Amino acid sequence: MIARFFLALGLCVLMLVSSVTTYVYLGGRQSKVAVRTEKPTVAAPRAKAFTLPGTLYLSQSGALYSLSIGRFHQLTPEDGWTQPYWNASGNNLLAVRRTPFYSDVYIIGRFGQVTRSLTANGPPPRSNDTTLMHWSFYPRLGPDNNTLWMSYDSPKFGYDVPFSIWSLPVGGSIRQGKLWTNANDYTGGDMQPIPLPTGGIMYTKYTYGPDGNLVGQLWLTTRPTPAGREGKPLTSTGEDCHQPSISPDGHQVAMICTYEKQISQLVLASWDGSNLGPRKAIITDQLVAQPTWAPDSSGIAYLAPGANDSPFQLWFLPKNAYAPPPPSPTPVPTPTPGGPYSGTLPTPTPAPPVAAPVVKPIQITTNNGFDATSPIAWAP
Amino acid sequence: MAGSLAYFLPAAKLAWDATGQVVTIASPTPSPSSDTNNASPSPSAAARTPGSFTVLLLGSDDDSKFSSDHVLTQSMILVRVIPSTKQVVILSIPRDLYVPFWVGGSGKIDGAYSYGQAGGAIATVQQDFGVHIDEYIWIGLLGLIKLIDAIGGIDVVTSSPVVDDLYPQDVFSADPYGYERVAVLAGPQHLDGVHAMQYVRSRHNDLQSDIGRSKRQQQVLLAIRKKAKQVSSADVPAIATALGGEIKTSIGLDRVAQLIPLAATFDNPDSITTLVMEPPMFHGGGPDGSLTPNWSAILYLVRQYFP
Repeated sequence: MIARFFLALGLCVLMLVSSVTTYVYLGGRQSKVAVRTEKPTVAAPRAKAFTLPGTLYLSQSGALYSLSIGRFHQLTPEDGWTQPYWNASGNNLLAVRRTPFYSDVYIIGRFGQVTRSLTANGPPPRSNDTTLMHWSFYPRLGPDNNTLWMSYDSPKFGYDVPFSIWSLPVGGSIRQGKLWTNANDYTGGDMQPIPLPTGGIMYTKYTYGPDGNLVGQLWLTTRPTPAGREGKPLTSTGEDCHQPSISPDGHQVAMICTYEKQISQLVLASWDGSNLGPRKAIITDQLVAQPTWAPDSSGIAYLAPGANDSPFQLWFLPKNAYAPPPPSPTPVPTPTPGGPYSGTLPTPTPAPPVAAPVVKPIQITTNNGFDATSPIAWAP
Repeated sequence: MAGSLAYFLPAAKLAWDATGQVVTIASPTPSPSSDTNNASPSPSAAARTPGSFTVLLLGSDDDSKFSSDHVLTQSMILVRVIPSTKQVVILSIPRDLYVPFWVGGSGKIDGAYSYGQAGGAIATVQQDFGVHIDEYIWIGLLGLIKLIDAIGGIDVVTSSPVVDDLYPQDVFSADPYGYERVAVLAGPQHLDGVHAMQYVRSRHNDLQSDIGRSKRQQQVLLAIRKKAKQVSSADVPAIATALGGEIKTSIGLDRVAQLIPLAATFDNPDSITTLVMEPPMFHGGGPDGSLTPNWSAILYLVRQYFP
């Protein structure tokens, strides 16, 4: 009887222990999908972290961060801040602050303090009419440093709310602005203007391809609208390209091409100021976004998911990956000092070809989740 | 055992409530489309590729504007899975297609759910398209948002900016008739549930309206499938809690257990065929703004991919 009692007790304890152990084990298993992103400032710099030159500015969860000498600093609170643009002449940033209903462009100091608002896209006084509000995205300054360029959702046509490219004097109102493009109807419009030294702009125009699919296409225009003077396409609709970025020397363009699929490739092309040259896909196995040239031309930074498809991380592709140094010249026999040699010169043995080392992209961050719709700004 | 039960309690509750829904499908009434266009009858299961099955995905605006038993299905997607060849075919049905209902009468196909809920939608699709449907999954607006959030969001290449000044503010707002502004920018990005919903639901700023929306829905569906491959047992309670009351399916638990490992084997994106019905498969100008089907073109496509 006593033996049975102890047996039952033992079994009860065993059940309890195994139940608790199972629960704790299952509860302790690491989820691969619910990993929370860390603030860039929380992640301690890795001992062997690759340090990028200059200062990069990125957006995560509505806050702007700078990355300098391998260390992140939070510049703004998590309050809708995105799309930084480095203004070299002013030693400050342009950035967009987005609210649920509209967005505005601001000048902020390099330590995050708001200096000035450049747009006023909120609702008029005593009105909540959503159609009277506006979005401004992708701000840039022109070569004169006194002209603001942006994508702006005006004019609107009822349900059709496309973005167009606008320019306006810094500090001026939209009434002083110039409309540069005529967006295609019901496409989302024209985005990502890049003012060119020649006075025109390169931008992304969304359009319907021959197969009826909505695609992105790089365009060049040299003067403001009216219709019919919009310039010309630089890429085909089938390439489905967007997010152009011009190299510091002005001779190359990096862009994202998706070929109407759920993929994205980082593509380079030469640029002569009016045409793009042959394409060269340099990243094809990642969901890559926002290519940005290093100011010293040492490589290209971009955003792409990290290992295990974690959210978008900062990556860097060194220049050697897409522009390998030219091979060293083949050695030729040099005359031996001491006079002419009358004998037969030995035939030089050709050196075996040395395979160029494969240069791979470097993942700079690991646990962050950067906003892949926000360009990276990179100051020298 | 007890520990497992305790851990998976939310999942068990969801499984009890949502899976294995019994669907009563009445015998279809003769379809005008079938009569006039020689549509083949619903093929028998034996005529199909062994092991293949077809699922009808239904997505509804189940916000407070509608009573729970009279919601419309804004999204109807047929998915055919062929495990032996690891192929998937996804076909979106336009919600405004004017079709005969299985109960009699005609209307936009998004109203079929109102006549018998999932059973009504299944019977109407089977009757009009000559497709045998094995299972269904229904999900509401909030369910989709919660599902995407529960799996940590999805990575999507949004094909164009989606901008809408009159997007319905009916999910989290006290006034379901209000509007909000939406701007989902283009390109590769990580979307949470709310923004993924905005991307697939907005149709005002799309020349193709519902067709464009169907293409976006398929992009998000594939992104969910890709992300779901990473789901482990550690995620099950959170997902189950998130989806409580927001999803219904005829798929039983035993079948779910078979399908989860199966889904992970569908790795090749080229083996997934996505189809959207476009003109000349229908034309506008039907009653109440509906789309008039060109049944011969539609059934040709359907027979090809859903034999």
